Amino acid sequence: MQMKDRAPRAPTGLMALTLSGLALASPAAAELTELHVMNAGGLYADALDKCVNDAFFDSTGIKVIQEVPGGYAKLASQAQAGVVANVVSDAATGELYREIAEGLIEPINYDALAPEPMFDEARHEYGFGASYYSTIMAWRKDVKAPSNFVEFFDTENFPGTRGLPDYPDFVLPFAALAAGMTTEEVSQGLDLDLAFETLNRVKDDVIWWQAGAQSAQLLKDNEAQYVISWSGRVIGHDDIAWSFQDGMLDVSWWVVAKGASDEEKEVLWKWMHEQSKPSVQLCITEETSYPGPALGLAEMLPAEMLPTIPTSEQNKAVQWLLNGQWWFDNAAEIETRWNEFKLQ
Amino acid sequence: MTPGPDRVAGRAPSARFRVLAARGLLVLPAVAFLLFFLDLPLGVTLWWSLRDPDTGGLTAGNYADFVNSKTYVTIILRTAMLAGSVTVMTALIGYPLAYWMLRLSPRAQAVVFALIVMTFWVPILVRTYAWIVIFGNAGLVNRMLLWSGLTDSPMAFLYNVRGVAFGMVNVMLPLMVLPLFAGMRRIDSRLMTAAETLGATSGQVFRKVFLPLSLPPLAASSILVFILSLGFYITPAILGGGRVPMIANMMDLLVNRFARWEIASVNAIVLLVATLLVYGIYQWLRRS
Repeated sequence: MQMKDRAPRAPTGLMALTLSGLALASPAAAELTELHVMNAGGLYADALDKCVNDAFFDSTGIKVIQEVPGGYAKLASQAQAGVVANVVSDAATGELYREIAEGLIEPINYDALAPEPMFDEARHEYGFGASYYSTIMAWRKDVKAPSNFVEFFDTENFPGTRGLPDYPDFVLPFAALAAGMTTEEVSQGLDLDLAFETLNRVKDDVIWWQAGAQSAQLLKDNEAQYVISWSGRVIGHDDIAWSFQDGMLDVSWWVVAKGASDEEKEVLWKWMHEQSKPSVQLCITEETSYPGPALGLAEMLPAEMLPTIPTSEQNKAVQWLLNGQWWFDNAAEIETRWNEFKLQ
Repeated sequence: MTPGPDRVAGRAPSARFRVLAARGLLVLPAVAFLLFFLDLPLGVTLWWSLRDPDTGGLTAGNYADFVNSKTYVTIILRTAMLAGSVTVMTALIGYPLAYWMLRLSPRAQAVVFALIVMTFWVPILVRTYAWIVIFGNAGLVNRMLLWSGLTDSPMAFLYNVRGVAFGMVNVMLPLMVLPLFAGMRRIDSRLMTAAETLGATSGQVFRKVFLPLSLPPLAASSILVFILSLGFYITPAILGGGRVPMIANMMDLLVNRFARWEIASVNAIVLLVATLLVYGIYQWLRRS
């Protein structure tokens, strides 16, 4: 009975004790010297160190420490444990909606952040658009090139193994396109029956990958001949061809964990402001080919880079933006059906 | 009657107690370590499996979800089946190897021993990835098959249950061979000599003397391999191509993607109880 009276998501004492012993940056620290941020790591984390964090340390004396990976589940466990060790995480649009709904994140203070001019679609009340990324098709240069996702999933006329993301949100839309939906329809929401029909048809020719770097490696090792992957992972390899045709454009957001101290937030807005500068975004784009949302960035990019950039005019025209609200509304059904499909 | 023995007998308990107490102090760090780093987290896991994530109250609902969903039970059974076949395969390969080592000269034994122990120096991730280099579509074996004209297209060794099982056998083999070899070495060789002098053929000596005596260490090694196989994560993740989910991979999904700690805890507890049962049955069989 006594247990029932406890507040929802009350921190369990034991867990909090254990975690606080491990967490180096305690929010109560008198002077802030470290900022722990979570993201997907890899090339992007290196670029962030090179283009933002090193200079940030020189000017403020605050060291930005990156934890890999971030995301919804990490924020949720932090909240449950009651110890906010990492104050920032990256988030895909679907995650952003879920984190808002569960009260895991704080609104962005755009007055304090004062970003340089940027695309409106990358300014969300709860998320600061850090960069754009695309989910696109890619293939080995020694196989027949598909021109759209109907052909990509046509295993008879385009024989070979498909390396697909082991994440429902990054594969179901394309499976729906293969079953005849248009990009306009898919950008509103999916017919899940159609999407799973496609996946059931091709599943014997599929290897599922979890880490972005795996997708390029599968192509190089000839384990897969065609993959769906994130643009920054498959562009720039000699033996891999790719296309933005019907690709899915999405914003990668920075979100702030609820419970971050005012002092930490003040530093955070400064850190994000740095990232809103076109020059900083140019530096990151050159390293990762994931462009930021600054209005001034387009003119600064060298012409030969434009075909590889998700937001260049030619590429934006053939892609579509994902509807985060639909994914959030249907999250439970998607999770159940995806698990059933994967575990059957 | 001399008082001597009585006095000694009277003093003995306190002396024994002191020895025990001193020994107790010696094991204290180990006990504290286990309590804090094993039993405490395990207790927290148990508590989470019984806690309603929304209200924080006690509930059996997580276990009900576990039973109703079917996917969890299916995966645990699949994991147990795979771990079982890996154990059998490891035993079939490991037993002859250990038996062969037994008959080598001490120097050759040391060399083979070093070769087996050396595999522990290579991380499991690297050993697993090496299988892609060898058995992958562009791997050594397939290149040789294609070059020799035995096949027209690469054979699919990986990304299925078989690939995962072979990869796990590769990782588990040393854990089977080393304790088995140690156990076999403890078998008194005079027993085999005695059997021979009594006229047994070498086949009979093996079947009737050596094999029965080597079964307990074989069972102990098999239990070790089975229990470790249940918790495999890396090998199914890499060699299974996302098509052979085992329980550790499912828990990774539940914790790191869906933040469903309560159902992950239920899975952990069910797996723990199942493993303890297997171990209990083994101990019971060993005694009777």
